[in-house]
Order: sequence, then structure tokens, then C-alpha cells
Amino acid sequence: MKEELFVSGRDIPNIDPYLHIWHWQIPLYLYLGGLAAGILFFAAYYVIKGKEKQMQTTVKWAAIIAPIALVLGLGALFWDLKHKLFFWQLYTTIRFTSPMSWGAWTLMLITPMSIVWVASYMKEMIPGWDWKWNILNRFEAWVIKYRVPFAWVMMVLSVILGVYTGILLSAFNARPLWNSSILGPLFLTSGLSTGLATIIWMSKDNHERKVLTRIDLVLIIVELFLIIHLFMGFLAGSAVKTEAASLFLGGEFTVTFWVFVVLLGLLFPIVLEAFELRGYHVPKWLPPFLILFGGLVLRFVMVEAGQITRFLY
Amino acid sequence: MKKERLHKSPHYINPYLGGVLLGLLVVLTVYITGRGLGASGAVKSAVVTTADVISPAVAKENPYYNRFISDDHSPMYNWLVFESLGIFFGGLLSGIIFGRVKKFSVEHSPKVTSKTRLIVALLGGMLFGIGSQFGRGCTSGAALSGSATFSLGGVIVMLLIFGTGYAIAWMFKKLWI
Repeated sequence: MKEELFVSGRDIPNIDPYLHIWHWQIPLYLYLGGLAAGILFFAAYYVIKGKEKQMQTTVKWAAIIAPIALVLGLGALFWDLKHKLFFWQLYTTIRFTSPMSWGAWTLMLITPMSIVWVASYMKEMIPGWDWKWNILNRFEAWVIKYRVPFAWVMMVLSVILGVYTGILLSAFNARPLWNSSILGPLFLTSGLSTGLATIIWMSKDNHERKVLTRIDLVLIIVELFLIIHLFMGFLAGSAVKTEAASLFLGGEFTVTFWVFVVLLGLLFPIVLEAFELRGYHVPKWLPPFLILFGGLVLRFVMVEAGQITRFLY
Repeated sequence: MKKERLHKSPHYINPYLGGVLLGLLVVLTVYITGRGLGASGAVKSAVVTTADVISPAVAKENPYYNRFISDDHSPMYNWLVFESLGIFFGGLLSGIIFGRVKKFSVEHSPKVTSKTRLIVALLGGMLFGIGSQFGRGCTSGAALSGSATFSLGGVIVMLLIFGTGYAIAWMFKKLWI
């Protein structure tokens, strides 16, 4: 490992004044992590509510996406690491004050849990499926017996995962755009909404789609409120914060953020979903596609813009 | 059940009313943005961007492409591109509300196949695109916005586009009806 010594806090290549270390891997991972959190949250929620039969896609089919998204996301995260062979050192400690420690441990638990979740439904999804080994069949029977407590653990972990994708950024107190406590709930809400969009896209059951679309509408409205509050907070803050917000209010990220995230990723889907609920014919893939696209752009814009916001001196 | 009927059967606006609304839209656009509407410009931006991505050297050398390339921002950073995006989504919304959005299909005369219809439409579109660049604008940019400012060029473009279309339509009508 090549060591680097800094004798000053100023003018450090790639760190000060502008951070230039996070590329496409980080926003992609934050997006996939949020998406998986959203899917697992609703899968667990409907099992706890005892509505497995009415919400088949949510509980079984869409849940398949979650472990895939998590593995791809973790792959991207691993790709981003400079010293890849040292990643295991995250697991030599538990630090309650570090979002990264929270994330590492949550992922350590929720990724295998999501795989077990899908595996426990394989026999229902594919008739004639057999795990071959007796020990696997016995483990499956055990999971099915304790499905509700299992769902409770997974639901709580999915919320932590969703919040963590946001507070991972807000823990950077040197980057004014990220250093806002709204980011945690904002990324959680966006993650839940993109997760729901994926389920809605996959579901063929009209009742299920209707129920989920209603929840999605509420989530998008909450997300809009959080975005407004985020900017209200910035504008009521110090010069550092208003400077950071100006990137989105006339600066270089204005169009990307307001057109692709807010207008096409949130407002337009609200209108389409509202019309769909009232019985109008809306192409079924369109609102979920726009929501998923908006969520992806949100992560990329926040990571990209956050890195160039800075303290003024 | 008037509302029910509204979005179950396709519903179109009266063309004369549509024309008046389109004219008022030009006034509004000039008021808000200080310039007129356009459509071919967005396609032009897309073409220039594609050329610039695939072969930046060729795009830089081409005197026509080069006019739209700058180091500050992508050629897609143009209000006509966003206007066209808005036309697409606005049109879609109108289609949904008035029951014109159905299963995806290619509309054509029973006498021609979908393939013929698509190929001919593509050819027609390409000719129109090339023509619009010689005429310095299309039906929106030159004819609509141009004639709204009493530009003689705009009026000539409009007369030529619709006049030529009217004159030669019968030769190609078998491709459509």
C-alpha cells in the first residue's frame, strides 16, 4: 500500500477544494441499495400483514430483484475501492457513530437474508422445485415456520439500509450539499418509491397494482416535500449552504435536477398515476420507468454536485 | 357517464380551434422565452451530438456541425430539445386524457403493409429534415414562428411546404390511403 502524507488541509489533490474521488459506482450503488431496500420493505410488510395471497408479486416475484440489485450494487462498491483486499477490515469493528459501519453490517445481514427470502418461495414459484439436499429442505421449512419474525427483522433492516444510503453522504461535514439531515429520509423515500415502481412494473394483478400505486403516490408527494425542505434549509443557512444550493437554482445542475428528477421523475408520474387510478388508460410501464429513471438521476446528481460543493475560505 | 365516454373513445380537438390555440401558443412562447417555437432544431441538436460522440474530429471539421459545438456544454443543451421533450410528454398526457393512447400499433392504410408505411414515413421525414435545413426552419420554426413576426421568408417557406405538399400529394397518395 502506497502511503500518502498530507502536511496541510488545503489544496489536496482530488480532495480539496473539490472532491474528485467518487465516480459512477457510488451513485449506482446508492440507487440499487435504495431500490432493494424498497422492494424488501414491502415484501416483508405484506407478509407481516398476512396479505401474502393478495400481494403475490410484491412478496415473491419482485423480491427476486432485491438480491440481484444488492449484489450488483456491492460489486460496484467493491470496484470503487482503492485497496480492495482490505475491505474485510470493516468487519473487525462496530462503530455506532459511523454510517459506513452501520451500512457494512446491515448489508452483511440483509444480503443473505434477501437470498434466503427468495429461496424460501422457490417451491411456490416453480412447481416441482427441490433443494436436493435434506439439510436445505430442513432449513427452508424452518424459515417458512418463522417467516413473520424473519420479515420483521428484514423490514427493520431495509429501513436502515434505505436511510443509510442517504446519511452516508450527509456524514461528510465538509461537503455542504450533503451535510443535511434531510438526505437520510429523502433517499429512504426515494428508495421505497423506486422499489414500489419496480413491483408495479412487474405486477399483473390489477388489485395489487392499485394498492401499490396509491402508496407510491403518497411517497412521491412526501419526496417532493423533502426536496422543498432540503432547499429551504439550504437557503436559510450560511453562505456555504446557499452557495451549494445555487448549483441547483441557476447553476450547472439546475436543468438536470428540475427537469429530469422533479418534473419527469416525480411530478409527471404523479399525474399519470392519478389518471391511472381514475380508470384512464396509461401505458403500464411508463410511470414506473419514469420513477426509476428519476431516482437514478437523483443519486447521480447528488453525488456529482456534492463533490464540488465546499466550504468557502 | 359523460366523463366515462370522454376517455374511452378517441377524442380530437376541432382543427380550427387547434390552429387558434397554436397561434396563441406562439405569442405565449415569445412572451416567456423571447423567441419562437421550433421542432427541427431539436433533431439537428441530436444529429450534431451523435456525430460529436461518434467522431469528434469529423464533427469539428464539418463547418455546419462545428457551428453548434462548444466546449461549455453539449449541443443538446438547447431549449428546443427541452421543448420537444415537453411536446412528447404533453402530447402523451393529452392522449391519455382523451382516450387516444391504446396498445402500441402502426396506423396505416389497409392497402399497404406496416413495413411500407414505416419506410416511407422515414424517407419522408429525412427529406423534410434536409429541406428544413435548406429552408432555415421547418413548419414550426420558419412557417409558424417566422410568419408570426411578418417575416417574408417564413411566409414563403409556409407557402412552399404546403403548396408543394398539396401539388404532389396525389402522386404518393397510394402510400397513405
